[in-house]
Amino acid sequence: MTNLYYEYPESLSVMKRLKPFAYFEPATLAEASKILIDQGSRAYLLAGGTDLLVRMKRGEIDLSALVNLKGIDGMNRIELDAETGLQIGALTTISSLEQSSLVRSAYPVLAEAAGILGSPPIRNLATLGGNIGRASPASDLAPALMVLMTRLLIDGPEGKKEFPLESIFSRPGKTTLNPGEVITSFFVPKMVVHSGAAYVRLGRRGGMDCALVGVAVLLNLSAKSGDVAEARIALASVAPVPIRARKAEAELLSGPLTEERIQKAATAAALESMPISDMRASASYRKEMVKVSTRRAIEQARTLAGEGNNK
Amino acid sequence: MKFLIDLTVNDEAYQLEVEPQTTLLELLRNQLHLTGTKEGCGLGDCGACIVLVEGKPVNSCLMLAVDAKGREVVTIEALETNGQLHPLQQSFLEKGAVQCGFCTPAMILSAKSLLDKSPRAGEMEIKEALSGVLCRCGSYKKIIAAVLAAGGEKGERNEE
Amino acid sequence: MKNEYVGKSVPRIEGIEKVTGRAVYSVDVELPGMVYGAVLRSPFPHARIVEIDLSEAKNSRGVKAVVTGKDFPFNFGGMIRDQPFLSMDRVRYVGDPVVAVAANSEAEAQEALGKIRVRYEELPAIFDPREALAEGAPLIHENLEKYGRSGPYQSVPGTNVCTLRTYSLGDVEAGFAGSDELFEDEFYVHAVAHTPMETHAAVAQYNPTENHYTIWSATDGPYRRAKELADALGISLNQVRFISTYSGGGFGGKGAMVAEVIAVALARFSKGRPVKVVYTREEELTASQTRHAAYMKLKTGVKRDGSFTARKAEIIWDNGAYASKGPDVAVRGGLTIFGPYRIPNLELLSRLVYTNKEPAGAYRGYGTTQVAWACEIQMDIIAQRLKMNPLEIRLKNGYRENDTYINGQIMHAVGLGETLERASREIGWGRPHSRPQDNRFRGKGLAAMIKGTATPTESSCFIKVNPDGSITLLSSTVEIGAGEKTVLAQIAAETIGVPLDSISIPNPDTATTPFDTGVTSSRTTYHMGNAVRLAGQEVRKKILELAGEILKTQPSRLSLARAKILEEGVGERLTLKELLLKKFGGRGGTLLAEGRFSPAGSSLLAASEGREAMSSIFWMFATHAVEVEVDAQTGAVKVLKIAAAHDVGKAINPLGCEQQIEGSVIMGLSNALFEEFKMENGRILNDTLADYKVATIKDLPEIVPIIVEIDQPGGPFGAKGIGEPAAACTAPAIANAIFDAVGIWIKDLPITPEKVLAALDRKKSS
Repeated sequence: MTNLYYEYPESLSVMKRLKPFAYFEPATLAEASKILIDQGSRAYLLAGGTDLLVRMKRGEIDLSALVNLKGIDGMNRIELDAETGLQIGALTTISSLEQSSLVRSAYPVLAEAAGILGSPPIRNLATLGGNIGRASPASDLAPALMVLMTRLLIDGPEGKKEFPLESIFSRPGKTTLNPGEVITSFFVPKMVVHSGAAYVRLGRRGGMDCALVGVAVLLNLSAKSGDVAEARIALASVAPVPIRARKAEAELLSGPLTEERIQKAATAAALESMPISDMRASASYRKEMVKVSTRRAIEQARTLAGEGNNK
Repeated sequence: MKFLIDLTVNDEAYQLEVEPQTTLLELLRNQLHLTGTKEGCGLGDCGACIVLVEGKPVNSCLMLAVDAKGREVVTIEALETNGQLHPLQQSFLEKGAVQCGFCTPAMILSAKSLLDKSPRAGEMEIKEALSGVLCRCGSYKKIIAAVLAAGGEKGERNEE
Repeated sequence: MKNEYVGKSVPRIEGIEKVTGRAVYSVDVELPGMVYGAVLRSPFPHARIVEIDLSEAKNSRGVKAVVTGKDFPFNFGGMIRDQPFLSMDRVRYVGDPVVAVAANSEAEAQEALGKIRVRYEELPAIFDPREALAEGAPLIHENLEKYGRSGPYQSVPGTNVCTLRTYSLGDVEAGFAGSDELFEDEFYVHAVAHTPMETHAAVAQYNPTENHYTIWSATDGPYRRAKELADALGISLNQVRFISTYSGGGFGGKGAMVAEVIAVALARFSKGRPVKVVYTREEELTASQTRHAAYMKLKTGVKRDGSFTARKAEIIWDNGAYASKGPDVAVRGGLTIFGPYRIPNLELLSRLVYTNKEPAGAYRGYGTTQVAWACEIQMDIIAQRLKMNPLEIRLKNGYRENDTYINGQIMHAVGLGETLERASREIGWGRPHSRPQDNRFRGKGLAAMIKGTATPTESSCFIKVNPDGSITLLSSTVEIGAGEKTVLAQIAAETIGVPLDSISIPNPDTATTPFDTGVTSSRTTYHMGNAVRLAGQEVRKKILELAGEILKTQPSRLSLARAKILEEGVGERLTLKELLLKKFGGRGGTLLAEGRFSPAGSSLLAASEGREAMSSIFWMFATHAVEVEVDAQTGAVKVLKIAAAHDVGKAINPLGCEQQIEGSVIMGLSNALFEEFKMENGRILNDTLADYKVATIKDLPEIVPIIVEIDQPGGPFGAKGIGEPAAACTAPAIANAIFDAVGIWIKDLPITPEKVLAALDRKKSS
């Protein structure tokens, strides 16, 4: 029998109403960066707010200042350059991504992943920058963006930087961004001919679900032989961050897409995954599902690649 | 710290004083007394708080009031005009799509947003558009029937 | 004569209020001077409260009242008064209320909560009711026998057994001895949350001069709650007034006081200000009511020809920390574990056991969802071993007209057979399955059920004819969302002879509407429907007598249709409105009639001596036939189609019956496949709707509701009930369909992909 002096902890508090905070609407990125640095570590960026407000209401973060990015112009555009690829502003909503005819025709897997996220009203608020900046291991968009070799553009006190998307993820809920740095846009290079990409997400129910396991696969098949010229496999929800399953990719490369190789790749992907058991699913189930989902994603990507074009 | 914001709600212009931590839902229910929009969970998981912002459904419990400044917001109260029910309100009644009615405003607004864009939406599109609203009474089947009935040009529907 | 309204699918009469957003639910009530309540809850499953420091909280901005169990030391409970308004010396589950605060705004109330410090001494906690039964288990209610009771619920003092019920008929051991095959199976049904879209909420206002409480809430039984509150506080009924709002879903969960008790305790100390308490979704999921989890053991003796010789059933109901309606669920739900089948020798041991978890209470089905899971799966296990068709074995053993129930009551309007036949036909029973594709296997399954209604209960109403001929029905039936008002309006309009839209039904108010037992037990159409019919007949008689007087003719020559008085051989004489004008002149006046109905004393309830209490004034039957597709690689189960057949006696409103059938099918499907409390040390981890998953519109299978109509003796226009039965059949039908598809039995809920996959693996390796 322990004798505990118990203070009402934030984690159990019923946060129905948000606590007050300092609020800023910068007009430029430079202003936003400055405010972030001045306000310190308890200052957060507001993009769509669908994740941030939930965490505030649940008492999961202690927020003293909110910096609303939506007053800054030019951060929500989708622009296609036929030669190089697609530029997506960080404040682009998930539903804009899903409904964009540019995205649907050039990168259907991205529109598909966007269309699975949350629910329509959430997608109308949530943004791409917010989703990636949240650094959730279960991000529905990360695997698709990763197999498309997406690059991230940020801006901040040290100026503009660009790097592969996956390097933004440090650990669950943490990015590699420095204080004052803001994600500004995403660049998705042009997809090669005879490529097909698919995203398979395993959830629990039909709508408003999150990924127990998410697998994106991109295949590029040689026009002449049908051999796998490029294979990229990315996994969500089965590691501290979204990861590329490189050993699985190696099983598919430079050879025909046979049943045996698909099986080997699926098994390898499962071995590369490091899922945990949590209240949603056990680690062993997730591992088994990586195998099943990878296989299904490969088969879907093959069909799409075999259709002779990017669609 | 209060902010003065201008916004339009149901075609009426308002100038309101809000605190930054006030959500759009709280503004609508507590300041404007438009209680047709409901708080079912406060976390965007149930959809009962859905309103249309510039015609698009959003979870108003996850939108700050300050973010609604300069915007056009439509709640369920806007749909009836001069005592005449909107076709969706009418079809929800006729098809038995209303049981306890708590999710009804959100379902109707989500459907309105869909039909305004895509009047011949078929069952798959309707399910997708309404997937953000939970109905514990389980009226889904009749809700779909009601949206189909309210859609344009009976008979022809978008392909599944 | 053809019915004008009864039997027609008229739209909801309260529908316009709902589609326009004007309907006021308990969460929408706004009153001048209103303050807002918030609750500090126990973080421990079982602990002694050592010390509460409120010094900072009392001075927090906007605070109007801070109340603890010491300030308001009362217990309440619909059956056993074991639940404190606010915890007194100890807390019994994570979420048990400890301190309530009322402040000018929710934010300020919440802020004050953060300033309260409580010291606890942890006590050993029990989460498994089987452990709670063990010798030497810590007692969750040490003074069980001292609690006030509203009925003869048999507790076992000195243990955690809140209620004990045994029953026997014949000689089970002889029955087993005389059987050809014996089946012994264990089943488990999990706790689920009602999850109404409107959380529990209430506003309470206290009048200090009269020591009187007014409560606005969506509770399903305002009179019963008023009595529970009066009994708890030791005041009289006229010191309590319940005003009903619309309800955003109840499903049984609003059949006990939840937010009401907090609002009342705060109101007492808020100097006359109304206090509003609205539960957050987290509180709704973790600190309101749940369905009882249950462990069930069934031993059944069967002859080779498929008939039953005996059944012995043992049920342990997991009550959580407080009784709520558990004592009755354990009794009435327990008895239906014998299913709708003829079994000559029976034995039941049903125990309701306390654990340190969220209290369980009435949940749609009242125990039948749990027992049907066990009964119907074992039915298929039996069928499989005997190589009998699951449909045939049910038809063979199922109750028929004039069969006796297990207490000797003769049953009428037994629609079971027709539900079995029509549901199975609709699902294509017996037709070969489509071939498996990509490791996806299809299967079909059936499940049937029986449920009675609480008997006897009581319903009264007034029908008031207004000076302009419009009609007001005054009834304490709450519109909990199942279409209660519409059915009653249809019965009233039909019986009196007036247009449906001339009838208005204000929401209940115990100050003005007469007594009703409540919207529970699928009883409203039958009981209040009869009361309305009786009042309607009385009003019609008064109108025709008045017309006779004024028209100087025999009332027997007159009739009333569409508010017009017609004379035999003559035609329309005058309208109801004109009649009243003639009678009352410009001064105005009303006509009033009372209708009162209770089945007490009915000869239909006759049974074996001493067992009449088990009779039900009507029995409801249902069958669900389900087709599923099992993904053998992921274990995911997809429900393709459900044919749900229900015998309703008479569908007063067929559309309304469909609503209830389709609705509870989805609930059953959701309970079975998606819902589960994830617990750790008594704490519910998934306390949001993101992780406590209920079915979305994208989970909708094809649902075919089938209405079976066999005239119910004594029912208004032959109707009985519909609200609950559909909740019971879906889960076991899915389980049986899974066996058909992939040859595995899932005997404990929920059916998760992981369980299915594990069972498939075990089957492969064996």
